[in-house]
Amino acid sequence: MKQMQRLIDALLDGDRQQALDEARRLVSEGATPDSIVINAIEPAMNRLDAKCTVEQFNLLEIMLVGRCLTAVVNEIFPQGMTASLTKGCVVIATLEGDVHDIGKNITKMLLASKGYNVVDCGKDCSVQKLCDTAEAQKADAVFVSGLITSVIPNVKKIKEELETKGLGCIMVVAGGAALKQSTSDHLNVDFVAENAFEGLHYLESKIGARNN
Amino acid sequence: MTGLQCIEAAIRIDKNGQVPVVPQIFGHAAVLSGMPVDEYLTSGDALASCQLAALGRYGHHAVFSVMDVCVEAEAMGAKTVHHPNNYPCIEQYVSSEDAINSSRVPNPLKDGRMPEMLKAISIMRRETKEETLVVGCVMGPMTLAMQYVGVQEALFMAVEHPLLFEKLLDHVTDVIIEFGRAQIDAGAHLPIIFDPSSSPEVIPPQFFREIVLQRLKRISSAFKQGGAVANWLHIAGKTLPILPHYPDAGIDMANCDYCIEPAMVRRFLPGICLDGNIKPLSFVEDSSEDIYKESVRLVKSFAGQGGFVLSSGCEIPPESRPENIEAMVKAAKECHF
Repeated sequence: MKQMQRLIDALLDGDRQQALDEARRLVSEGATPDSIVINAIEPAMNRLDAKCTVEQFNLLEIMLVGRCLTAVVNEIFPQGMTASLTKGCVVIATLEGDVHDIGKNITKMLLASKGYNVVDCGKDCSVQKLCDTAEAQKADAVFVSGLITSVIPNVKKIKEELETKGLGCIMVVAGGAALKQSTSDHLNVDFVAENAFEGLHYLESKIGARNN
Repeated sequence: MTGLQCIEAAIRIDKNGQVPVVPQIFGHAAVLSGMPVDEYLTSGDALASCQLAALGRYGHHAVFSVMDVCVEAEAMGAKTVHHPNNYPCIEQYVSSEDAINSSRVPNPLKDGRMPEMLKAISIMRRETKEETLVVGCVMGPMTLAMQYVGVQEALFMAVEHPLLFEKLLDHVTDVIIEFGRAQIDAGAHLPIIFDPSSSPEVIPPQFFREIVLQRLKRISSAFKQGGAVANWLHIAGKTLPILPHYPDAGIDMANCDYCIEPAMVRRFLPGICLDGNIKPLSFVEDSSEDIYKESVRLVKSFAGQGGFVLSSGCEIPPESRPENIEAMVKAAKECHF
């Protein structure tokens, strides 16, 4: 663990170059990519999660750490994360009528760093495209982010569309400035997350329960 | 008392009088009049007529010449895409260092949709006959920087190229001052400074204190010199960590989002008028009874104190139910401090 500490510090510092240098050093010293994920990336994520309490959460810090995590994951898994580390598949989008995708991108980064295969349907995405992708990818969950209230009618249609396809078992998680003002009942989703970490916790609890 | 007098009294923190009520009605005014949102956002005549129609229906105390968050960035050269019934968005940001270095301050009388906002202000000031607060709008420095170069790009620039970022902030501050003063000249009692990107949920409070605050001071000082009756700052989200800096920034009136309790904010800001904070989505999803009850609760929490304007935590969604806005106005008119 001690040899991983400098990478953890660099990740939490948001220092991309330092993090990449440390990851390369660890690999050259014989560390496996899997061990870097388990002993550096996951502890760094957990520390960030603990730090991101309601008062301390800010986009700038999360984005800097997220950029480091992405760079390190791409460095140690140039062909993509190994199947043994993939916990499940999440399809993510900002729905039709909304082009604000920063929240979606942060959530995508957190989920990917935690070992999920994240399929990004982009912004201004139709419910149809989202659900078709979830079907094709055999997704475990669908995450949608919304900054403006006008996307709410589209959010309400997701469950219905998934059920039409016989995919009612796919979890639907909503978040973002507009959607988090509402409730899961109003939005017809499984969970409304206050922030990206809360969405991740919900997913982990459900996937964990399913795998046990 | 007229609506304008009620608001002026609240800004002075007068302990007596009627509670002013200012629902943040922007695009909802177009929906209420059955006008395509894009027409409302591109024509000063249309904007003014819809705002005045909403004023006639609800009887609240302020009208807004507010289009959307793209107005300044668009006039500076960012490319926007417009939708018939939704707010526009930036399609192409201005991202190169050369473009930032050579960027000029737009002329509010000529560039983009700025002249239309000024036109709406002039019409509304003339038509409301000194009875209603006429509010213009500028983006704050962080929000305009992000609208101009992109959210991600602006935040990374702040870390990796701090000198360029500060230069960008100085430039957008010049743009904000020029546009805000033109709004005051056109008849606005004040331009609201809308800076959601300065929220502690976006940037650390230290960043606000060290980088943003000095620009806000420049803006508020210029607006006061230009004749603004007050400086009204609107930062969304959980703003508690940055509230102690508001007096230093020259702010007279501060928005409270739905996630913070105005009565608690009052302890941080005893000398500043507060506005807020009904959850915006409640105007779509909740009943008029719910809105009325919450309005009365908020007003009662300021009993004997004054310095409060009943409002929504942020913009009232365009698709809101009119009876909910009526319920808020009714509650305010039935209550006194």
